[in-house]
Amino acid sequence: MRTIVVGLGNPILSDDSVGIKVAGLVKQRLAGSVGVDVIEAYAGGLRLMEAIAGYDRAIIVDAVKTGDHAPGTIRKLSPDSLSRTRNTLCTHDGDLPTALALGRDLGLKLPDSVEIIGIEVDEVEQFSEELTGEVAAALPAAVDEVLRRCGMIKP
Amino acid sequence: MSRITIDPITRLEGHGKIDIFLNEEGDVANAYFQVPELRGFEQFCVGRLAEDMPVITNRICGVCPEAHHMAASKALDALFNADPPLAAKKVRELMYMAFFVTDHTTHFYALGGPDFIIGPDAPPAERNILGVIRKVGLDIGRQVIDCRSRNHHVIKTVGGRSIHPVAGLPGGWSRPITVAERDEIVGVAKQNIDFALFTLKIFDDIVLKNPTYLDMVTSDTYSHQTYYMGLVDGQNRTNFYDGQVRVVGPDGTELVKYHPRDYASHIAERVEPWTYLKYPYLKAVGWKGFVDGADSGVYAASPLSRLNVADNMATPLAQEQFERFYETLGSSRINGRYQPVHFRLATHWARLVELLYAAERMLELAEDPEITSPDLRTKPGAVTGVGIGCVEAPRGTLTHHYEADERGVLTRVNMIVGTTNNYAPMTMSIKKAAEQIITKGKVVEEGMLNRIEMAFRLYDPCLSCATHAAVGKMPLRVNIRDCSGEIIRTVSRG
Repeated sequence: MRTIVVGLGNPILSDDSVGIKVAGLVKQRLAGSVGVDVIEAYAGGLRLMEAIAGYDRAIIVDAVKTGDHAPGTIRKLSPDSLSRTRNTLCTHDGDLPTALALGRDLGLKLPDSVEIIGIEVDEVEQFSEELTGEVAAALPAAVDEVLRRCGMIKP
Repeated sequence: MSRITIDPITRLEGHGKIDIFLNEEGDVANAYFQVPELRGFEQFCVGRLAEDMPVITNRICGVCPEAHHMAASKALDALFNADPPLAAKKVRELMYMAFFVTDHTTHFYALGGPDFIIGPDAPPAERNILGVIRKVGLDIGRQVIDCRSRNHHVIKTVGGRSIHPVAGLPGGWSRPITVAERDEIVGVAKQNIDFALFTLKIFDDIVLKNPTYLDMVTSDTYSHQTYYMGLVDGQNRTNFYDGQVRVVGPDGTELVKYHPRDYASHIAERVEPWTYLKYPYLKAVGWKGFVDGADSGVYAASPLSRLNVADNMATPLAQEQFERFYETLGSSRINGRYQPVHFRLATHWARLVELLYAAERMLELAEDPEITSPDLRTKPGAVTGVGIGCVEAPRGTLTHHYEADERGVLTRVNMIVGTTNNYAPMTMSIKKAAEQIITKGKVVEEGMLNRIEMAFRLYDPCLSCATHAAVGKMPLRVNIRDCSGEIIRTVSRG
């Protein structure tokens, strides 16, 4: 069973970097555990689909901005949720569900399970490498959530 | 009173909004195109070391990091007074051609193509890359994915890292190409040429042989007579990596040709009260509003613009396609060059001519004996204070302008990204399409709204980097407002 953890976002756009920061911390904690790869990604759609092709399971960590939840809220989503969150959309080619459907049509080996951990964010329009307070405070819980899913922490 | 909102436009990067205002008769009075401002990029950069800019600016956006990396590297060449060895320029350009192939391919099959291949009136859920592949065949889908994959591999090999290259340095490039890698890249380039020809054939079969589509492409709804901008080489041929900026008027006459470092002498920015977007225009002509014609300083910088400013293409197969493009669209050569094509939907075709050029140029560079040279670096000299770098990004001329103190610490950063050049033409295209599609308050069939979107999708706007925004998070919204400004309808998609 090969798992890929993808931290998605823009590393220099405030809270949008939260997925990438979570991935970085997960990578440290996993310390080269067999069977789990951790990467950063910067675009959704086709590029994201291409990045997770070949794995059995994908765990995607990304910023979500719905305004319906307090910043720092960790939400457990799936590709089916994306029409609502529009999160892993790369609008130069399409959204993740479309890209996954395309990959399946083309016979690519795609993960049986695509899980999305969405972290509600606040500031995504200001250039900064820092997270805002509530989002930064959610980092440990988000990292634990990923590790739990990877079987590295007991539920 | 009714109001109309299209929300979101599903295949556009970043967060934007179109407001279409109707008059008392229900006809279009104005159309405004807006994107929200992302703040603080200059402040983010000032105080940092200039040499970090190739890896900082390529983080602005997940879509065309290679273009920012290249413009930044060139700006540093100037800032550190270090003209790279010819071999380094060739290696940079080689990687850049691989990037153009992937970007233009993706645009055609995923973004622009669906309007034609699936049809402008088809439901939006089908009008995407999946719909394209289901219509034209799985084999083509595999070819698209293979094309992206093999060129991403080249970018990773030559650029030192996938997606966000790291090899650009002041005065050169840090990663030489081995002979084995070169051989592999030659193979990729040859496949790219076949794929580009094949894609042009699809465009022929699906668009040019369909009178309805050809009428749409050549219709007044999607035509604007503006100035055009693009980089050209010493023989006035299209070049994506380097050259002089050439600007031609609506009749094809050269207005000016200048070194990119002089951009500020030629380009000014118009501020409008209803948006924080700044509209670049030609200083020599002046701002006359969002209007066509030789008296209006509005210019476009796009694949169509790049062809319009060029006398010829620099590679043989692209040259054949270039000639066919102009002759098919009714342009003739005057004083040795074709008259500009003003049909904005022809931008999709122009993009495919460029795809072929990029593929051919990639092969030329890969087969150049110097491409495996390890001599890729000119030692940086003293900081000159100012560095301006310019390339053609897929979406238009991209300029980075840095100023730094004697230690190389940034004191000022300015960028004109590809999409920004096209703010005024996009606004005009949207208004004109809306005017001819919305009359007496009648709108709102899905296909009609899509035809308005088509008016700006052809520019492939990347709002995220135009506003320095993130990766495709936020939708674009179209509000149609009555004469009192009240929104009269909302249509959602996505």
